[in-house]
Amino acid sequence: MSIHLLAPEVASQIAAGEVVERPASVVKELVENALDAGAKTISVTIQEAGRRLIEVADDGRGIPAGELPLAVERHATSKLASAADLFHISTLGFRGEALASIGSVSRMTLVSRTNDSVTGAKIRVEAGRANPVEAVGAPVGTQIRVEDLFHNVPARLKFLKQDLTERRAVDGLLARYALAYPQVRFRLTDGATSTFQTSGDGDRRAILAALYGVEVGKQMLEVLAEEDGLRLTGFISPAALTRSNRKEITFFINGRWVSDTPLTQALLQAYHTLLMVGRFPLAALFLEIDPEEVDVNVHPAKAEVRFRSQDRIFSFVSRSTRRALLAYSPIPALPPTQNLWGGGQLSVGSEQSSGNSGQWSENSDQWSVEGGQLPVESGQLPVNGAPTQTAAFNLPLLRLIGQVGTTYLIAEGPDGLYLIDQHAAHERVLFEKLMLQHAQKNIAAQALLAPLVVTLPPQSASVLSGQLAALSRFGFAVTEFGPNTFQIRAMPVLFGNADPAAALRALVEDFEEDETPLQNELEAKIAGRVCKRLAVKAGQTLSPAEQRALLIDLENCDSPRTCPHGRPTMIHLSVDMLERQFGRKGAR
Amino acid sequence: MKVTVLQENLARGLSIVSRAVSPRSTLPVLANILLATDDGRLRLSATNLELGITCWIGAKIEEEGSTTVPSRTLSDLVGTMPDPQVSLTLNAQTQTLNVRSGSSTNDIKGIDAQEFPPLPVPDFADAIQINVADFKEMIQQVAFAASTDEARPVLMGVLVQVEKDVVTMAAADGFRLSVRKATLSSAVPQTISAIIPARALNELARIASDGEPSIQMVLPKGRGQVVFHVKDVELVSQLIDGTFPDYQQIIPRSYKSRTLIATASLLKACRQAEIFAREGSNVVRLNIKNSGELQPGEVEISAHSEETGSNETLVEATVEGIPLLIAFNVKYLREVLEVIKTPNVAVETSAANAPGVVRPVGDDDFLHVIMPMHLG
Repeated sequence: MSIHLLAPEVASQIAAGEVVERPASVVKELVENALDAGAKTISVTIQEAGRRLIEVADDGRGIPAGELPLAVERHATSKLASAADLFHISTLGFRGEALASIGSVSRMTLVSRTNDSVTGAKIRVEAGRANPVEAVGAPVGTQIRVEDLFHNVPARLKFLKQDLTERRAVDGLLARYALAYPQVRFRLTDGATSTFQTSGDGDRRAILAALYGVEVGKQMLEVLAEEDGLRLTGFISPAALTRSNRKEITFFINGRWVSDTPLTQALLQAYHTLLMVGRFPLAALFLEIDPEEVDVNVHPAKAEVRFRSQDRIFSFVSRSTRRALLAYSPIPALPPTQNLWGGGQLSVGSEQSSGNSGQWSENSDQWSVEGGQLPVESGQLPVNGAPTQTAAFNLPLLRLIGQVGTTYLIAEGPDGLYLIDQHAAHERVLFEKLMLQHAQKNIAAQALLAPLVVTLPPQSASVLSGQLAALSRFGFAVTEFGPNTFQIRAMPVLFGNADPAAALRALVEDFEEDETPLQNELEAKIAGRVCKRLAVKAGQTLSPAEQRALLIDLENCDSPRTCPHGRPTMIHLSVDMLERQFGRKGAR
Repeated sequence: MKVTVLQENLARGLSIVSRAVSPRSTLPVLANILLATDDGRLRLSATNLELGITCWIGAKIEEEGSTTVPSRTLSDLVGTMPDPQVSLTLNAQTQTLNVRSGSSTNDIKGIDAQEFPPLPVPDFADAIQINVADFKEMIQQVAFAASTDEARPVLMGVLVQVEKDVVTMAAADGFRLSVRKATLSSAVPQTISAIIPARALNELARIASDGEPSIQMVLPKGRGQVVFHVKDVELVSQLIDGTFPDYQQIIPRSYKSRTLIATASLLKACRQAEIFAREGSNVVRLNIKNSGELQPGEVEISAHSEETGSNETLVEATVEGIPLLIAFNVKYLREVLEVIKTPNVAVETSAANAPGVVRPVGDDDFLHVIMPMHLG
């Protein structure tokens, strides 16, 4: 076959493949257009999960009738004039591809009317071919009907998932945009029934409930932090509320949903030692940042971004979320629907002690989570393990009742019963004590018999060069030994017999990720020692004096709710729940 | 195969070879011991492909043959047999080994001996003869300094060099170096240099009993292996590929401070200090104080732990040169003192950040270098 230019329809179908892969991506492009047009109300209608019909109607600025034919062409946009504009993009779209792409794989009808025009205009595009513009009556704004999506791309059609899955993708997408734009009214109609609606009054928690369900929505912790030019808002799950995958971690950067971002790692960092292995938090976080600091033109669907100063943003996100988490970390509580005497499953979808839990309600509000909001503060706080100023959120005073099964302690608090795992609790107590002792002391260095020369990748090398002076504090003696090459003469004792080169790389990684250097190694070493050698074990009888001492020590811990490995130290049975279980209060 | 052996001999042979068994392997035959009739004796062999041990025991052979059976099963079984005689009969068809002793009879399912990896049969004609007692002491004084970190395989081995009538062993783990020399009874024509896994040498030291006159060592050409033979046991080990660091450069040529001290007293002080040091970073400090005209010198050995407290021991010493405060990993210091046999040791160093050299006084064949520690 000879080489020839592709027909425009073929080329635009190929381009469409990058942007439009499923109904949800059509909804995303159209909703983003509506938001860029300044809409206050956006209603989305789908039929058969969007295969049959996707209609997005907004009350935004609209498109003048004369510009309609151009609007459905490729590389046509009103959002960008020159290449220089690419570096400070404030609109969601800018590539000028969405409408053309959608039009090339469906039958699309676009009706629009601007504020200053008397009639609306309509253009119909079928499989990439635009028909002439007609005048029609229409409200101000734009309605786009996308029918028979992928009717001319059978391969795509075949790869669509079940209706339910595709619809859930649309639901999730719309809910996330609603969360990002709480001042815009969103409505989603599936066939004839309205499935999702927001009021547009700016209340994010209500939308959160629509996204995650009421119970989960209530428990989510609010994050609010600001620091020279960066602003992070949104919600994260408490440590007891987790999922087995990262799908529920959502980041919006300047109002744009970004799925692939290093910020996910920053968030997970904040949960370090608080979550069990293989569990991930839920989060919907909104980062606002100077558009010049971020490059969105990386991926056709704009699912990826790059930051100019990634380290700073990484550390900001990690610190802010960690702060919110530590301040409001709740105790896992048994859900009231669960039979107490049944399986002791420690469910994640648990209810937080609510404000109306009987006579103790006045005392309990200081650590109740609902509506919990952190004051905006932009001070520096140690990231891991180190002492934090969260004393007010620690455990309430507990009255010891006794030991059960030589493994658990039972105690009464102002708002119900606490079951405490003696091993996990003691681990936490010892861990914090030892971490404190180690924090006050310099890291001892062991000199090497023969200096070891290591070559690092260029960017790691430049990170390390900047830190050489500080290295001796961490027990390293390192000098530069040529381009990207370093000579190690001593390494921290912490690493034992490990390879000095591996130890240095671990340190550089800490620097790169802006963590407290060697904190992970130290934590792991101490946690291991505490667990194996020092902490009381399950099955060990404790005298009442020992039990009381453990409770008091636990009350004084900075994060008493989890052991250093992230397992819970205690289960809370609230007064409210006990009353329901005993039928004193109607189960609601 | 049909043989009769003494329970005592079989149990001893199994305990020697079973150290080379690889209990968790994807090759089931490596968990087995090879039993084969060999020139009027019964040969027992085990290997994990890095280390192989063979032991011959006396046997009354009625029918030649060979098989392999699981090491654990056979060892445990033989250990419990009361009768002095054990007879082993192989059903070659089913590869089942019948083990009979007194009134007890057992059938152990085996694997065909053909599947067992062949062990080298070297020629010991020009083997190097080394005195057993010397060799065991060398291993004991050197092998502990080898690294256990698999990231640097070369350091997991012991460098063994033979030149004329001197054999030298050296091991280092990156923080300390142990070097020991010994003289052979007769000079060797060729020069030998090989890195032998420390584990293999430790096994050898365990197997060789002091009663034997000599160990024979052979390095078959081009095989990358070393074979040791002592009485009725043969040990074969893979050599470690690579270049051992030039340790001669590491050994300091001079010192500014030399401390002569009683080995036992210093060892005791280290053991005490370790009780405190092990909670933290294993740091022990030696405060070496000069001997004056009239008063003797002394070394103050101290350790300190945030958790448990602190310890301080004064030991008299003869100090030549400058007074000095130096810190070491207490484990390293203790381990070298434990293998020094002379009543006194010399600790030589030049500065707090310079290597420390430990030598037994009156024995020039051994020396140990420990790198110091420094605290932030």
